[in-house]
Amino acid sequence: MVTDRISTACLLVVLSQVYKPGLVFLSLLALDIASHWLQMYSTFLMGKASHKDVKDSSNWLFRLYYGNRMFMAYCCVSCEVLYLILFYLSENHTEKLTDVLATNLQKISILSFLIATSLVGCTIKQLTNVIQLKTAADACVLYDIDKKHKQ
Amino acid sequence: MAKKPGPKPGSKPSKLSVYLYIPNIIGYTRVLLNCYAFHVCFTNKILFSILYFFSFVCDAVDGWAARKFNQVSTFGAVLDMVTDRISTACLLVVLSQVYKPGLIFLSLLALDIASHWLQMYSTFLMGKTSHKDVKDSSNWLFKLYYGNRMFMAYCCVSCEVLYLILFYLSENHTETLMDVLATNLQKISIVSFLIATSFVGCTIKQLTNVIQLKTAADACVLYDINKKQKQ
Repeated sequence: MVTDRISTACLLVVLSQVYKPGLVFLSLLALDIASHWLQMYSTFLMGKASHKDVKDSSNWLFRLYYGNRMFMAYCCVSCEVLYLILFYLSENHTEKLTDVLATNLQKISILSFLIATSLVGCTIKQLTNVIQLKTAADACVLYDIDKKHKQ
Repeated sequence: MAKKPGPKPGSKPSKLSVYLYIPNIIGYTRVLLNCYAFHVCFTNKILFSILYFFSFVCDAVDGWAARKFNQVSTFGAVLDMVTDRISTACLLVVLSQVYKPGLIFLSLLALDIASHWLQMYSTFLMGKTSHKDVKDSSNWLFKLYYGNRMFMAYCCVSCEVLYLILFYLSENHTETLMDVLATNLQKISIVSFLIATSFVGCTIKQLTNVIQLKTAADACVLYDINKKQKQ
């Protein structure tokens, strides 16, 4: 888990140096750390075996993501593939991200197909991260509320 | 028709009320301050330093506010910890862009995340209330660090002060870290004094992080061993 977080973080740091606006990648870094941290914390509070066991969630995207391991794998791998492709495509140190994406998506090639599919998967993963953040925060709040109630 | 009764004393507070606790609102303010600070960090270094430092001050204030208003919450503690980690991470990212070798700051980032993550994980496994309660540790630096809150505060503040000073001193985008440190330490000034003292504190903090990493990893391993033994 820690190796995952740090390796993704370092790749995002590098991407924030070679693309403009670098803030996009910093934000992705912040979201990645925050959502995984809060989810791990709330998992411990609730005594669940793994943060991937989310049977009781009502959110449809959540259930789709965690219910189907292949789908989850596709989304996770998409992020890493997209970041790697973006890094590979960077020519000099101040490229505009939208320009590079637009140029490469306009060509019909294996590369543009990879970019398109990984962009979809990565977007879904980020949305799930946001929902995760909210759900985990709620769990922390409910933990306190339940604890007080039992007293 | 009977009036709808208000909340009885001792009834469950709503989730929203916890999210609106004063210390948590201070927490959200910290997040916003940091977002704006990093937005302007390259165009207005002084403003960035002020905002970042103010956010750091709020870190202390929200803990005080939580105790004063009896609004301590688990969510608040996590919000605090995550905000700390991410704001330090972003500052280290920025430093890795303006100094050579950038890898130093990436390594500090990795160490910060790894040591805090592992420590939190092992704290949960051992059922301790806070990773700052380490009464049973045998390592002398550990005991010194955690036993004395003022010393711990000095080390933590040192890191942030050193990073801020380094950022403030950076003139262009590819300075060598050693050069900047050497140049500024040679002058006898308030800045060189600050750099020297914060450098010492920051080094101690990083050493503690490394020890923390090892101790927490051991705790994870021992957890499994004990669990198997009890079966």
